[in-house]
Amino acid sequence: MDSLSVSAEIKNLDQVTDFVLQRPEIAACSKQIRLQLRLAIEEIFVNIASYAYDPEIGPAEVRCEVLPDPLRVVIQFLDGGKPFDPLAKEDADTSEEALFAREGGLGILLVKETMDGVTYTYENGKNILTIEKKLTEPEDVCL
Amino acid sequence: MSMKIDLIKHGNDCELKMDGFIDATNAAEVEQVLVDVAGKFDNMLLDMEKLEYVSSAGLRAFKRVYMELRRKGGTLSAKNVDKAIMEVLEVTGFTRLFKFV
Repeated sequence: MDSLSVSAEIKNLDQVTDFVLQRPEIAACSKQIRLQLRLAIEEIFVNIASYAYDPEIGPAEVRCEVLPDPLRVVIQFLDGGKPFDPLAKEDADTSEEALFAREGGLGILLVKETMDGVTYTYENGKNILTIEKKLTEPEDVCL
Repeated sequence: MSMKIDLIKHGNDCELKMDGFIDATNAAEVEQVLVDVAGKFDNMLLDMEKLEYVSSAGLRAFKRVYMELRRKGGTLSAKNVDKAIMEVLEVTGFTRLFKFV
């Protein structure tokens, strides 16, 4: 599995996004899939950058692997910050009243809705959030 | 700021052609520009034809713009919304902010 280690800061978002999206198998995917992956990566990395070590700054590791049958990408985000399971909370309320009351929770909701799988574990002092997305819609076949 | 915005005035209303993306790295800046413009017009129409990507940081920016317009009784409209951006608006319930034209 390829791995990238960066300081968990929003200014490093592009580096993390490029690390995944520039893989040939993903560059060949439909615009829809690439945008969904970009979204999921941003939402997860920004959460780590904003909260994991707050108010300090700490490291994050991103691992990426493309697997066959069905063709899919598995991306893992690891941080050594405060233990936090983003999947433990109920989905963000998307009612009209809540729309104006709340600020948080939208990011993980978008991740859950756009990815095919999202899992969380806490191992050896690290938060590990794993997302999986099928890459079965090449631009020239499905759109 | 990785986002180009062209302003077209229609009397007290305005149309903004957005070209680029809104993510966590530029959302605060885009929000400031949009809220400033919203303060000067009654209604705002966002042309999203060339808006390629919006994350939750961008949604917060849209919400502030909507609030600014609503405070004055104005409306926020959108047109040419890309499939991927519409998905983000639908999943989060943010379609409610916009009148789609």
